[in-house]
Amino acid sequence: MNHSLGDYEPIVGHAVIHQLRTLGEKFKGLRVVHVNSTSEGGGVAEILTWMVPLMRDLGIEAEWKVIRGTPAFFSVTKAIHNGLQGKAVNLTRKDWETYYTVNAENCRELGDSLARADIVVIHDPQPAPLLALCANPKGKWIWRAHIDISRPSRPVWKTLRPIVERAEASIFSMAQFAQPLPHPQFLIAPSIDPLSDKNIDLPQSELEEARGRFGLDPDRPLLVQISRFDRFKDPVGVIQAYRLVRKVLPVQLVLAGGGATDDPEGREILDEVREAAGEDPDVHVLLLPADAHRTINALQRLADVIIQKSTREGFGLTVTEGLWKGKPVIGGDVGGIQLQVTNDYTGYLVNTPEGAAHRIRFLLHHRDKMTQMGVMAKEFVRANFLLTRNLRDYLTLMAWLLWGDGRHTMMV
Amino acid sequence: MNPFEIKDCALLTGMSGLPAAVNLRELRDRVASCHQDVLFHHFCETPLVPSFDYPDYRNDFAVWAKWRLGDQVLAERLGMIEPYSLPTLEDLRAATLEVIDDRLSEVTMIPWARPGQEFHFKQAITIVFDTGERIAHPDELVSALSHMTNSSIYFHVLEARRRHPVGVDDFSAWLKGGDGQWDHYIRALESIDVTFFTLPELRRKLIDVLTTARDLGPQGGRP
Repeated sequence: MNHSLGDYEPIVGHAVIHQLRTLGEKFKGLRVVHVNSTSEGGGVAEILTWMVPLMRDLGIEAEWKVIRGTPAFFSVTKAIHNGLQGKAVNLTRKDWETYYTVNAENCRELGDSLARADIVVIHDPQPAPLLALCANPKGKWIWRAHIDISRPSRPVWKTLRPIVERAEASIFSMAQFAQPLPHPQFLIAPSIDPLSDKNIDLPQSELEEARGRFGLDPDRPLLVQISRFDRFKDPVGVIQAYRLVRKVLPVQLVLAGGGATDDPEGREILDEVREAAGEDPDVHVLLLPADAHRTINALQRLADVIIQKSTREGFGLTVTEGLWKGKPVIGGDVGGIQLQVTNDYTGYLVNTPEGAAHRIRFLLHHRDKMTQMGVMAKEFVRANFLLTRNLRDYLTLMAWLLWGDGRHTMMV
Repeated sequence: MNPFEIKDCALLTGMSGLPAAVNLRELRDRVASCHQDVLFHHFCETPLVPSFDYPDYRNDFAVWAKWRLGDQVLAERLGMIEPYSLPTLEDLRAATLEVIDDRLSEVTMIPWARPGQEFHFKQAITIVFDTGERIAHPDELVSALSHMTNSSIYFHVLEARRRHPVGVDDFSAWLKGGDGQWDHYIRALESIDVTFFTLPELRRKLIDVLTTARDLGPQGGRP
C-alpha cells in the first residue's frame, strides 16, 4: 500500500513533514529515475516501494525502472554480489560478457528515459554497467551500494570498480562498508517504514492470536530473535544464552526467520538450531514464509527482550524494528548494531552467550529500567531511522549534485 | 529591525577520503592534515548525525578514545575541548593536537583499536533553505522557536557561530540591531551552555530563558 507524506505526520510530527515539503519545492518537476533489478523481495525493492511514491508526493517526477535479465544473468549478478561481500567467487570472461550484454539490452530499452533524467540512481551492482553504457546522459548519476563492500573479492572489485567510478557520487550505508572511489561518497543509513506491515501498530487481538498460534505462555517472559538461519546471526549462541537464563528464570525463546528452504547452508544451520533446541518445549524455532511481516511484527511486540546476537552484521534492520517496538535490544557488538544499541540506554552490546544471558537477567529483574529503555529506544528510531530521514538525505544529495559548488554549505 | 528570516538546513555525511586511523598516532597524523570541514564535522555537527543523543562526550574523537582505544584519560581531555570557544578551526586543530601529543608523550604503548573499530574520518555537506517564515518582533521569538525543526535550531544557534559575526548565534546577531533595546534577550541567550544539550533540549532551554527574559522585561534581574 502506498502512503502519502501526510500519513506519516502523526508519527514524525508536523515540523518534519513541513521541512520535507519546503525542501521538496526546490525539486518540483525534476526527473529522478531509480534503477534496480527486482520489483519485489529484498531490501532495495522495499525501499523503492515507499520512496518513489513519496518523491512523487513532493512533486518530483520519480520513476522506478527494473532491469530484465535471464537466469544466467542473475546467477552472475548473485556471484558478483557475493564477491563484493568478500566471498571467493569464480567469474569467467563469459560470465562478465553475460553481465554486460544483458545490461546493454536494458540500456536500449531504458535509454531514453535514463538520458532524459536529471538524476539517475543505480542501486547495487546488477544494473551498474548502465553507468558506462548509456551514452551522453544529461543528468547526474549516483551509485547506491546497499551491501557491505569493505572487503570485496579483488578480481570482482577490480572489474566493477572502473564501472562504478563513472558515477558522480556513491552512497553507502555505513562508513565501514565503503571503498575508496574517485568521486564523493556519502553515507545514508537505512531506515524503516513505520506504516509497513512489519512495523505498524497491531491490535491486541492480533497479538493474542499470534501468541496462541505459537503456543506461547502469556505469564512467562519471552525472548525473541528474528533473523535468517545464518551462522553469523549465531542462533545457537542465543539458545546457549537462553539455557543460562533458564536456570534461574522461566523464560521462553522464539527464533524466527525465513529463507532456508532454497538455501543449502540455511537448511544446514536450521538443522543445527533444531538439534540445539532439542525437545525443549519453550524453544520455538519458526521457519516463516517471506511475507510473514505481520507475524514478525507480532512476535517482536510480544517479546520482553529482543535479541540480535550477530557475530557479523550489516546495518541490522531487525534491531531498528525491535527498538521501534519500544523494546530494549541485546545485540552483538558488531556492524550497525553498534550504531543503534547504546549500553544502558537502548539495550546492551554483548560478545558471548554469557554476556547476553547476564543482560537478559538484569533486564528481566529491572522492569522499570526495561520500560524506560524501551521509551528511549523508540524515540531514538523516530529521530534517526525512519524513512522521512532517508528521504531528506536523498534530497540533500540531489541538491548538492545539481546546484553545489563543492563547498561545505550551500543555499538552495 | 528587519524581520528575522527563519532558515532550515539538511546535513548529509560523507567520507573525507582520508584512510581510517587504527591507532592514536594515525589519528594524530590525520587530524594534523585533514580539511577543516572534517574537524568541524567531528566536533560540531554530531547533533545532526543519525546517532545516539547522549554519547559520553560531545565530540567523536573523545568517544572513540574511550570506547575503541580504551583510553579514558585521553577521552576525558578530548571531551573537554570546547569548539565554540575557539576563534577558528585552526585553533581547534591546534588544541586537539596538543591534547593528543601530550597523551602520546605519556603512554608507553600507542593505544590502538581492534579491526572493525577504526576511526573513519568524515565530513558533511549542508544545504540551507529559506522556510519562508519570519519573526517580525523579538517578543515572538519564543512562539517561533516552538515550531522550528531541530535542524533549524542547529543552524541558527550552533552553525551560526562559524559564520560572520563569528561566535555569535543568529538570534543575538539580529537582536543587536535593536540598539540595546533587546539586550535582556541577548543576555538570556548568552547564558546557555549550548554544547551540552541535545537539539530538542536546546530548544526547550531557549524557550525557558527567553520566556523568563520576556516576562521580566529589559530591567529584569537588575537593580
